[in-house]
Amino acid sequence: MKKKIPYTTKKKIYGFLFITPWLLGFLLFFIVPFIQSCLYAFQDLQTTDKGMVGTWVGTYNFSYALFRDTDFIVQCVNSLKDLITVPLILVYSLCFALLLKKEYPGRTTMRAIAFLPVIIGSGVLMDIMKQDVFSSGVKGADTVYLFSGGGLTGLFSSMGLPMNVIEFVNNIISKIFDLTWRSGVQILLFLAGLHNIPEYVYEAAQLEGANALEQFFKITLPMLTPMILLNVVYSVIDIFSDFGNQIIQMIYNTAFSNVRFGYASALSILYFILIAVVLVVVYLLMRRFIVRPED
Amino acid sequence: MGTKMMYRIKNGKWFWTLMKYAILILLAYQLLYPVLYMISASIKAPTDSYDPSVIWIPKHLSATGFQDAFKTMKYMDALGQSLQIGLGCAILDVISCALAGYGFARYKFPMKNIFFACVILTLIVPTQTIILPYYSNMKYFNPFGIMSLISKIMGRDLAINLVGNKLSFFIPSALGAGIRSGLYIYIFKQFFEGMSSALEESAYVDGSGPLRTFFHIMLPNAKNAMVTVFLFSFVWHFNDYYLSKQLLGTRTRTLIVALSSLRVDLAALIGGQTTTDPIRVQTRIQAGCLLAILPMFLLYIVAQRKLADSIEHIGIK
Repeated sequence: MKKKIPYTTKKKIYGFLFITPWLLGFLLFFIVPFIQSCLYAFQDLQTTDKGMVGTWVGTYNFSYALFRDTDFIVQCVNSLKDLITVPLILVYSLCFALLLKKEYPGRTTMRAIAFLPVIIGSGVLMDIMKQDVFSSGVKGADTVYLFSGGGLTGLFSSMGLPMNVIEFVNNIISKIFDLTWRSGVQILLFLAGLHNIPEYVYEAAQLEGANALEQFFKITLPMLTPMILLNVVYSVIDIFSDFGNQIIQMIYNTAFSNVRFGYASALSILYFILIAVVLVVVYLLMRRFIVRPED
Repeated sequence: MGTKMMYRIKNGKWFWTLMKYAILILLAYQLLYPVLYMISASIKAPTDSYDPSVIWIPKHLSATGFQDAFKTMKYMDALGQSLQIGLGCAILDVISCALAGYGFARYKFPMKNIFFACVILTLIVPTQTIILPYYSNMKYFNPFGIMSLISKIMGRDLAINLVGNKLSFFIPSALGAGIRSGLYIYIFKQFFEGMSSALEESAYVDGSGPLRTFFHIMLPNAKNAMVTVFLFSFVWHFNDYYLSKQLLGTRTRTLIVALSSLRVDLAALIGGQTTTDPIRVQTRIQAGCLLAILPMFLLYIVAQRKLADSIEHIGIK
C-alpha cells in the first residue's frame, strides 16, 4: 500500500526540486572551484606532464603578497581610490533616472540612449575607447573635438593655464566618460525603483502642501534606499572586477604569463577578502538609512 | 495641450522645461559621442585625417577600414560564435533561473535562507577568484567524480575536455551558474513574489501538479521578467571577454575576443607596410569596434522599448 505523504512535506520536496538545478551548478561551478582556489593558495603549483603537482608552502604565498610584493598593496590602494567614483555614479544615475521618470516628448529616445552603455559597453570596447577616443590624440590627427583631451589641452594652454591644472581637467574629462558609461545598469535599477513608489503617496504629499524638494527628500529618497544599497553594491563589484582593473590584470598575468598558479590564487583570495570587507563596511554604514516600506 | 502650455509659460515653467531639454541634449551628446566618433573615424579616408577642416563629416569616404577589420576579425565566424553563445546561454539562463527563482519565491524548505544567501554570494565573488580551478575543471571535466567512476568501470580513460567547446558555457547556464546568474534568480524571485498566489491555488485545486502549474500558469505570466533576463543574459554573454578568452581556447573566437586582439592582428595583416601609420590602424580599429557593436545595436533598436518597459515595471524591490 502506498503511504500518503502530507501536503506540507510534499511542498518542501517540490521546493527543493525547483532549486536542484541551481544547487548542482552552485556546487559544481562555484563551491568546488572556490575551495580548490583556497587550497591552491597554500601551495606552490607546477605544471608537469601528469597535470598540476603542488607542494605545500603554508602561508608563504600570502606573506609574499602582503610584505614582499610591493606591487600588490599599491594596486589595492589604487583600486580603493577608484571607489571615489561610486558616489558620483549614484548621483549621476539618480538624476538621470529622475529625468526619465515623467512622460514628455522624446522620453523614449532619451531612455534608449541612457541604456546604451548597458548594451554595448563591454570592457574591451571601453578600453579601446579610452586609448583612442579620449587620448590626447594621435599625432597629426589633433583635430578639435569638444570633448577630446587633445582639443582642450590646446585651448587651455593658449589661455595660459598651468600644466597641472590642464592635466587635472583632462583627468576629470576622462572620468566623465568612465562615469557615464558605467552607469547604465544603475540608471535602469533606479528607474525601476522610481516606478515602484506608488503615485498616491505623492498625491497625499501634494495635498498636504509639500513642494517638489520636500517630496524628493521625504518620499523619493527614503523609498529608494533599498535600491541605493543595491546600486552601491553593484557599482563596487563592477569597479573591482572590471577588465581594465590593474589587480585583475596582475592576477591574470601571474597565472597565465608567469605560470605561478599558487601565487595567483593567493592574490585572488586576498582580493576577494578586500572586496568583501568593502561591501561589509558599505552595508554597515548604510544599514541605518534603509527604509523598508510595509505593504 | 494649448492651455497647459499657456499655464506653463505663465508660471515661468518654460524656463525649467528649457533647462531640462538642454541637460538632456548634453547628456545625449556625451553618451553618443564615442559612437559618433567611431562612425566618423572609421569611414574617413586617410587624407582627411590630416585635413584640419574635417572635424566630424569626412570629405572622402573609405571602406578599406571596414574591409580590413572584417577580414582580420574573421567577422562572420566570430559573429556566429558570439550569437550561439549569447542565444544558447540566454535561453538556458531563463529556464534554470526561473525554476530556482520560483522555488525561492513560493516554497518553504529547510535552509532556504542560507541557499539564497549563497545565490547572492555568487554575485559578489568575482570570477577571477575562482577562474584557475574553474578552468582546470573544464579542462578535465569530472562532475562529482562521475567521469572517473565511469572510466574505472569501463576500464578506459574517458577524460572530457570542455575547453574550446561551447558546452563550457552552456552547462553552467543550464545549471544556473552562468555569468551573473545570481542576479537573474534574484529578479525572478522578486517577480514571482509579486504575483498573486490565487492562480496557483486554483490550479492546485483543479489537480495540476507543481511543474505543470509552473510551466502553464506562472511562466506565461512572467513575460516581463523573462524578457529582462533573456536580454541581460544575451548581452552579457555576448559582451563577455574574460571567460570567453579562457574557456573557448585559441581556435574559437567570439567577436569581443577578436576585437581585443585586433590591434595585434592588424599589425600582422598589414605586415609592417603601414603599421607606422597610426591613423590607418586607428581607422581599422574604430571600424572593428563599430562592427563588434553592430549586432547588439541592431537588436537594441528592435527590442529597446520592450526591454525598457519590462524593466520599469518588473517590480524589483
